[in-house]
Amino acid sequence: MPQRLNRTKRSAVFIDLGLLEYKRALDLQLKTLKSKIDLTITEDRILFVEHPSVFTLGKRGGEKNLGVSKKFLSLKKIDLVQTNRGGNITYHGPGQAVMYPIIDLEKNKIGIKDFVHGLEEIMKRTALNFNIDADRNQKNHGIWVDNSKIGSVGISIKRGISFHGLAMNINPDLEPFSWIKPCGLNDISITSIEKEIKKFDTNNYDIAMGRIKDAFIKHFSSVFDYSIKN
Amino acid sequence: MKEISDLNLPDDVKYTKDHEWAKLDSDIVTIGINDYAQDQLGEIVFVELPEVGDTFSEGDEFGSVESVKAVSEMYIPISGEIVGINEALEDAPELVNESCYDNGWIIKVKPDDVAQLDNLMDKPAYLDMLKG
Repeated sequence: MPQRLNRTKRSAVFIDLGLLEYKRALDLQLKTLKSKIDLTITEDRILFVEHPSVFTLGKRGGEKNLGVSKKFLSLKKIDLVQTNRGGNITYHGPGQAVMYPIIDLEKNKIGIKDFVHGLEEIMKRTALNFNIDADRNQKNHGIWVDNSKIGSVGISIKRGISFHGLAMNINPDLEPFSWIKPCGLNDISITSIEKEIKKFDTNNYDIAMGRIKDAFIKHFSSVFDYSIKN
Repeated sequence: MKEISDLNLPDDVKYTKDHEWAKLDSDIVTIGINDYAQDQLGEIVFVELPEVGDTFSEGDEFGSVESVKAVSEMYIPISGEIVGINEALEDAPELVNESCYDNGWIIKVKPDDVAQLDNLMDKPAYLDMLKG
């Protein structure tokens, strides 16, 4: 019997960069973005990466929300990088899953606020895969478990194409977050998948990044109606 | 997002493919982002403006709008010199959401060649692009 094919017009290639320095990943994002603007690359690309420890500032800064000196950071060998994404200061480090979708929002008719909302939805569903009830919070964008932030969003759009993206805490060292006012907010704490799991299960969990990657691919695909080549 | 039929698209301005509008008054062109752009950006929290006296070529980035967690560049549709910026947006960027064609205008440009405006779309052509 002939079947109606359920074809999706949107497709992207998913690239796992492993552990890569923030600045090198940013270079790669900018090169990919340029190639998409020049039409040298037509497909959308989604970069998946973990960064060595780094603090990054949003386009409008956030340096005043850094609670330690630059000397302290250099002793700890942690860079502070100015970026042109939305949002304020944040921390990236090993154990945090970062995803940079370089997506032609204009061509795919995805509105910017819907895109931000969808990136949050991906993190919410990923947390739910670990039985963690995470959601949006009136305080700020991103995804929260009660009053603790577990995932952040910050994007830029150039010629209708998105770059930067989301960062979700899986099992990073959370201490560096205490050195900043994340997102410029007072009185918030930061959590991770690991920290939440340990609240109800004291076994030592090793949360493999591969599991997060699979969850991101699956949820990106369903949230934005994409077929994704891995 | 609004349906295309719900968009407020005045007949007396020109439109760009980047969802801006431009309007000529005597020899000065006022530029802003249109209803489609403000709607799909969501709540605008910051507008980065150029300075009066800056000059740009058609297609150059002249500033950016930051909606919640997203920075989007804006592109100038006509070459010329900035002769006015909407300083009210520094304290009230939400004017772009509330009144994108009036109080939420962004820049005023003295064009090098006013004929460049002919390259922009009128409302029917812009609507065709949105539907396409």
